[in-house]
Amino acid sequence: MIINSILSFEFPPINELLRWRDVVPGLNKVGIIAVAAALIGTLVFLSAARKDPKVAPKGTRNLAEVGVEFIENNIIMQTMGRDGLGWTPFLLTLFVFVYLCNVPGIIPFIQMPATARMAIPMFLAVLVWVIFNVQGIKHQGFFGYFKSVLFPPGVPKALYILVTPIEFISTLIVRPFSLAVRLFANMLAGHLLLVIFALLSEALFQARDKILIPIGVLPFFMLVFLTGFEVLVAFLQAYIFTILAAVYIAGAVHPEH
Amino acid sequence: MLTAFVNINSSWQVRVSFDAVSAETGSEEGAPVSAGPNPIAPEIKELAWGAGSFIVFLFLMRLFLVPKVRKGMASRYESIQADHEYASATRDGARADVARYESAVAEIRSEAARRLEAARLTLDKERSAKIAEINEQIAARRAQAETEVAAARAAAQGQIVSAVTAVTTRATQIAVGVSPDNAVVTRSVQQAMEGTRS
Repeated sequence: MIINSILSFEFPPINELLRWRDVVPGLNKVGIIAVAAALIGTLVFLSAARKDPKVAPKGTRNLAEVGVEFIENNIIMQTMGRDGLGWTPFLLTLFVFVYLCNVPGIIPFIQMPATARMAIPMFLAVLVWVIFNVQGIKHQGFFGYFKSVLFPPGVPKALYILVTPIEFISTLIVRPFSLAVRLFANMLAGHLLLVIFALLSEALFQARDKILIPIGVLPFFMLVFLTGFEVLVAFLQAYIFTILAAVYIAGAVHPEH
Repeated sequence: MLTAFVNINSSWQVRVSFDAVSAETGSEEGAPVSAGPNPIAPEIKELAWGAGSFIVFLFLMRLFLVPKVRKGMASRYESIQADHEYASATRDGARADVARYESAVAEIRSEAARRLEAARLTLDKERSAKIAEINEQIAARRAQAETEVAAARAAAQGQIVSAVTAVTTRATQIAVGVSPDNAVVTRSVQQAMEGTRS
């Protein structure tokens, strides 16, 4: 006996998943998430700053201090050393902002990471690119910086024909591109996976053939699993973006490292 | 538009196929489609809101929030460090007090032991002196008693000798009819008694 059942569901147009209508003119969901991320970060640190620092930290104060120590111990001291502690505010802001833009991808009823759109990763990557180049020029001088970037020491002179174009492309062009695309593509892929499994679960649970309904448990299980996985991805991508920014700045400031 | 079909046949194989369909026209792939905006391209309004939010956030964090949190952390670390140093000093002071106390206790114990030893020696000396004195008294009393015993014995012996002499003299007088010389009898009795005694 052959059972021929066809379950069909329509996958929404990709633009419908990623492009959001304006809530107010000029401000869509991604913009609201970015504003909310900055606002939540500001409120947490404002609340932390207003608490008595003498007593044992609790709540937002504890959260803020954990954030500061995480950035200082696990990113700055590992990549830039003690000299890089002055970069704590920038790197902490970068980490908190990226993380708070990633996290809405798994928050029910929001379910859209702002970093799954290219605008924010691109802006942040360009900002990091500008900063590490400016820092390199500031610390090594214009020619010194570009000499250290394009003509790395210890390479036989004949190889500069190959190495210099590669270094030019990798340091000055690919770095911001890869930084932006890594964050954007990871968050977009996670978002699309969640959409696919959510739609497949819904389609199977609402199938006309009752025999298909139990099968819906499988994509639903994957949906739950991937949601948990996205919690990790949100943190990991924020960490990777921040640590790469720190590595690039440290490389520009101390080329000997 | 992407459409997925899940076909389930008798062998329970599931096939999912995605067919590209235009979002605007709904026509199949190959037909003229409206491209629509590129989903990857950044939108200016998102860029503006994202950049604006980040810059304002960075400004606040750089100028006010992180320095204040960091300053609080530093002051608490300094306070903890000061408390730690104070606790270390207090602990060292307490250890010095304990050492002084233990030294004083050891000194007092030593003094007590010294005094106990002196007292014990004094007591031993006094006990020895008392024992010697009592022994002397005992010896004196024993000598006196022995003298008295000897005197009593001598007196008793004299009485016995005189009695035996009287009896012997009377018996001799009755047997022989002559009274023997009293001195001879007395000497003979004494010799006999001494011979008996030896």
